[in-house]
Amino acid sequence: MNKSYSSIILSFLILLPLQVLVFRNFVIYGYGFNFYYLFCLLLLPVELSAITGMLIAFATGMVVDLFYHTLGIHASAAVLLMFLRYFWLRINGPRSGYEVNQFPTIPNYGFSWYLTYALPLIFVHAVTVFLIEAGDSALIGQSLLRGLITAIISYIFIVLTQYFFFKKAR
Amino acid sequence: MNQLIAFLVRARVVIVFLVLQAICFWLLIGNNDYQKTAFINGASGFIGGISNTSRNVQDYFELKRVNGELAAENAMLRELLQQPFLEVSDSLGEIQYQADSLDSVQFHFIPAEVVQNNFRMTNNFFIINKGTNDSIAPGMGVISGLGVVGKIRSVKRNFAQGISVINTKNPISIKHQPSGRVASLLWNGTDPKTADVLYMTPDIKVSEGDSIVTSGYNSIFPKEILAGTVASVEKDANRTYLNIKINLSVDFARLSQVYVVRNEKKEEIDSLVNENPLQQP
Repeated sequence: MNKSYSSIILSFLILLPLQVLVFRNFVIYGYGFNFYYLFCLLLLPVELSAITGMLIAFATGMVVDLFYHTLGIHASAAVLLMFLRYFWLRINGPRSGYEVNQFPTIPNYGFSWYLTYALPLIFVHAVTVFLIEAGDSALIGQSLLRGLITAIISYIFIVLTQYFFFKKAR
Repeated sequence: MNQLIAFLVRARVVIVFLVLQAICFWLLIGNNDYQKTAFINGASGFIGGISNTSRNVQDYFELKRVNGELAAENAMLRELLQQPFLEVSDSLGEIQYQADSLDSVQFHFIPAEVVQNNFRMTNNFFIINKGTNDSIAPGMGVISGLGVVGKIRSVKRNFAQGISVINTKNPISIKHQPSGRVASLLWNGTDPKTADVLYMTPDIKVSEGDSIVTSGYNSIFPKEILAGTVASVEKDANRTYLNIKINLSVDFARLSQVYVVRNEKKEEIDSLVNENPLQQP
């Protein structure tokens, strides 16, 4: 358990600076953002209580918000993501059930499970961010399009990271 | 009572969720600009420091372009210097400026560098590396060599945050150059290269390529600073006003050297407005 805690803390320490210093500056044609930091929220243990998860998400979102100058937006979307994740994990369990002490990652549960687990959550988060940010129903089409493209880009980055750096738990 | 407690315990996930969302929206919604500013100010020493370091690295990649822009601006200023806008008005040798040429008495320009800049959101802000130490105050205008950039919103000792022209909540008073008619400039939230001109009546002949400049009516910007050029004009039968789109002269994706405009007479103008509340919007 100690090992998994330390690797989660490590993932926050690496991903958050990466997000606010590097990925903040790369946006594809004004539509494809990269919310790579969501990976550390998606990586939190399955057995984590919903409340702890939401508090962690709130703090993470706040840090990102401070650098994006959007106080409250990322925090709100991240809290929503963790809230939904709690139920989504229970509805959408892998066929063999969850193993204790295993990260919810592709090496552990397979690509197709991860796709149904992560992509909808990232999409909800991204659309929430753009809708709150726009604050205007006239821009709803643009927000949805941005959300979709952003979700796909973030998902690709998150999946690639797992193929490079994560091994199957024993 | 026991039932209430049991209910609260059962619904605790939803309750915590709602409380956190409430905090987020409280931070978010416009009525607490003060909290927002206080929060950002509290953190901006650290955040500004990090942004500054990250900006320092980026600077090296932009040196060539920035040099080019500054050289072009220098050339323009040299040209202006050759025009005789200084003249001695009386025997005591007091120097007076022609108010027309640059409004030089009224406005001071403080050079600054943008250390952080958003341009992909709907409401964009930027941070510059000058603050109260360089006598920057909220409400001052920000321009660059190419045109209007925005205005200062909140100030810390070494940094200041500004609200960009490409922000859907930041209208700017402008005028159409050949006709001199005053209207408003407002960004529409989509493309950082274009913006809309509002409240221009159809009796004005607006054609593509006309310049749109600041009006100088609001004591934030000097008059006739370029904002952009007209890209398209449409007449809408259902509306009282023309639909005008302009190409912004400043490339907000590559903002680096800017000037903060200090209007020496702003207090005087503002006090006059405040004493006559009828004139207030």
